[in-house]
Amino acid sequence: MDPQLTSIIVPTEELGQIEECLGRLVEDTGSDYALLLDKSGQVISSKGDGDRQDITALGALIAGVFASSREVAKLLRERDFRASFQQGVRENIFIALIEEQWILCIIFNKGTHIGLVKVLTKKATDELASVLERVRQQHKARDEVLGSSFRTSMEDTIDLLFRD
Amino acid sequence: MALINVAAREIHCKIVYYGPGMGGKTTNLQYIHSQVPKDVKGDLLSIATETERTLFFDFLPLDLGKVRGFQTRFHLYTVPGQVLYERTRVAVLNGADGVVFVADSSKQKMQENVNSLRELAQNVTRQNKRFAEFPIVLQYNKRDLPAEVIASVQTMDHFLGVNRMNWPRIEAVATTGAGVFETLRAISRAVISKL
Repeated sequence: MDPQLTSIIVPTEELGQIEECLGRLVEDTGSDYALLLDKSGQVISSKGDGDRQDITALGALIAGVFASSREVAKLLRERDFRASFQQGVRENIFIALIEEQWILCIIFNKGTHIGLVKVLTKKATDELASVLERVRQQHKARDEVLGSSFRTSMEDTIDLLFRD
Repeated sequence: MALINVAAREIHCKIVYYGPGMGGKTTNLQYIHSQVPKDVKGDLLSIATETERTLFFDFLPLDLGKVRGFQTRFHLYTVPGQVLYERTRVAVLNGADGVVFVADSSKQKMQENVNSLRELAQNVTRQNKRFAEFPIVLQYNKRDLPAEVIASVQTMDHFLGVNRMNWPRIEAVATTGAGVFETLRAISRAVISKL
């Protein structure tokens, strides 16, 4: 196993803590939606009103924006932009970085004050950073999931779906 | 970096199509999008200029369904190929699990292929990954070019260092779909083997 490609594994207990944290953030700020993304754009968890159908595309775009702003930061000899704010007529988006790995995104309307979002997001990022730290320690869970029979099944599925 | 969500029983992998401008990266994704069953694909999202050149990326989510109880998703991205967008490519490459390098088979484009591959090596290394072990599949696209302008496979192998690196290499004509799914199968298998 190549350690550099070690996958991020989110076990049940940690996912529960993440969901609780996002739920509390949405409730306390009165936001519409909170999303936790991996820096590659994958959605780890989300909480909010209703079922968004566009969540996968949203994750890819937000992560893209964040990765892009990181490159801007480097050009300005800044290490990172830790947070960014996008203001719309109806909806606003506040995005914060957790360590170098995760992105927390809060979507809120004009009924919620940005100051409150910033303060409570800071609290949530600290909490999520400690969850991330525990997630990084997970190796056993991967071996349980990714056995050789899983890989064989996966290859069969790939051959079946991606044929000419 | 793949994401395995044990509680939600989901696995996500990110595959990036890299290569010089006008090489056919977007065409690869468009062909895949046109051919896979509806229940497998999401919308193809393109951030392009008015002249249809990729500005940021194209994005195509593929849902492979349940594999041993795990919902498995592959997210395909392209980078903008033009030299100008080097930093944008770095951003899109962030967290990738594997790369399809789409090389242009035109003799005139050989130097651009080599430069782009070299840049890819640098960018992968900067993400603290060992390039030699990173899952990569080469696609020699535009194999339908006229004989007087097309580079031979051996010439391309030589310039791109295929034999030395032991990368799978697939000949393709992305506009007709030839080799497109063979490439996708090869990179998917390579990514899975490294999870």
